[in-house]
Amino acid sequence: MAALAVTDLARRFGGVRALDGVTLSIEPGERRAVIGPNGAGKTTLFNILSGEMRPSGGSVRLFDVDVTAEPTWRLARRGLARVYQRTELFAELTASENVELALLRSGGVWFGRRDVRITARAAELLARVGIADGRARARALSHGERRQLELAVALAAGPRVLLLDEPTAGMSPIETARITELISTLPREMTLVIVEHDMDVVFRLADRVTVLHQGRVLADGEPRAVRADARVREVYLGHEAIA
Amino acid sequence: MSSLGRILLGVAFVALLLSFARWSPERFWVSVVIQMLISGLFAMSLDLLVGYAGLASLGHAAFFGVGAYAFALVAKHVSPSVAVALPGAALAAAIAALVIGVFSVRASGIFFLMLTLAFAQMLHALAFGWIPVTGGSDGLSSVPRPDVGVSGVNLFLTSNFYVFVAVVFVVGALALRAVVNSRFGLALAGVRENERRMRALGYDTTRLKLVAFVVAGTFAGIAGALQASFDQFVSPGDVFVTTSVTALVMVLVGGAGTLAGPVLGAIVVVSLRTFLADQPLVGARWETLLGALFVLTVLFARHGLIGIVRGGLSWPRSP
Repeated sequence: MAALAVTDLARRFGGVRALDGVTLSIEPGERRAVIGPNGAGKTTLFNILSGEMRPSGGSVRLFDVDVTAEPTWRLARRGLARVYQRTELFAELTASENVELALLRSGGVWFGRRDVRITARAAELLARVGIADGRARARALSHGERRQLELAVALAAGPRVLLLDEPTAGMSPIETARITELISTLPREMTLVIVEHDMDVVFRLADRVTVLHQGRVLADGEPRAVRADARVREVYLGHEAIA
Repeated sequence: MSSLGRILLGVAFVALLLSFARWSPERFWVSVVIQMLISGLFAMSLDLLVGYAGLASLGHAAFFGVGAYAFALVAKHVSPSVAVALPGAALAAAIAALVIGVFSVRASGIFFLMLTLAFAQMLHALAFGWIPVTGGSDGLSSVPRPDVGVSGVNLFLTSNFYVFVAVVFVVGALALRAVVNSRFGLALAGVRENERRMRALGYDTTRLKLVAFVVAGTFAGIAGALQASFDQFVSPGDVFVTTSVTALVMVLVGGAGTLAGPVLGAIVVVSLRTFLADQPLVGARWETLLGALFVLTVLFARHGLIGIVRGGLSWPRSP
């Protein structure tokens, strides 16, 4: 049983085929990178996987349940979380409250008081991603810290499948190294799907790599094999320094 | 301050508030404070939507009015008992909020504002036109004060009625405080800050907003019931858009996103209306002064008057 199985997925925007028959199967616990040049359809794929966009055709199965076009909140309850490319935080709330909101969802939302165990659990998660002070408001954090907070929020939901949309975008080399290290230490049973431009990060994290090009899967395989693929080199990696 | 100190201070404040009718230097002021408490409860209920959930409503008078009419009808025709008429008014307002909310909370921003306004105006038209029940433009008069069922306690006496209103206000304020400090309150703040993100976390934000709408409508209905029994009169004006706008002004002038802010806003608006409208130079122009105050707070005090009390002036908002 695949953690995430995408069959013949299509999405058209007017005459443009952003996705044109994409089929993917990601095993539980796998760490899959999705790469491709700009406009290859990576973000469209992520938007459909996270339920924010409906596909024009094809299906998505999460742990063997057909979830095509299910709303985002229901997918989240089935164990899917997404770390956004653009930071999507609660700006006026504190870092701790941002994480608490993700923790509380699983406990049901009602008029009960917020209890100290939740706050303690939030502090634990914040420490894990490297944020020491949970009382700072999200809007006061640096770009790198916001990305770290994003990750803490995603982890708080205890996801089975985590979608990471360019987790190192806009980060300094030091921040990049740090977040990459952090992602590599996530529990192995958690399935990760990563869209990333930084090839060092991709080859450091991924078990398998899928290359998208013009809305289709160009290549799919182990990083070493994909790196050696002539077509991939031509469309995408040609400009990158490949060791 | 220690938590014990805070509790003692709170108890002392409540004791002073409840006994105000005894130590007030003038009887007239008791009536003024009753109006401040009723308007304050109404404004607090609106702030649950505006300040906490980020839903600016222009139709909150709908629930104030439904509560007022329901209280008047139940008290006149069924029973003036406080155990019947007040819950009846709250229930009627809650049902109205549920029905209107189901349609309104799916929209956001300006569309939510227009929908709530439209529904409130429909209810206003109903209050105006359904003469056999609502009395039309004449309204309903001789609305009894609630009967609290204690022999010798007559709420037709203003000093007794004051204590009743103050108790309902304190209980209502504590209940609303519990709501905004709860998990639900935090979730509402999440909806205000980033609804899309809340959905991605797995929250059914439509239901959260609907629950907030019903809770806010219920407390507005209780405030409306108090108003009906205070005035001993209900009219279509209680459901009119000006009632909604005045409550919104109270929230924004006082400070949205806090519970003390709307109460402070209610105190300011009721004071202006009471004391300035009598001045020969001001008269009906008190509303112009209120408008000027509103503009000044929006420009210079983004957290309202309560923000000035707590932390000083701020510069005008930048876009």
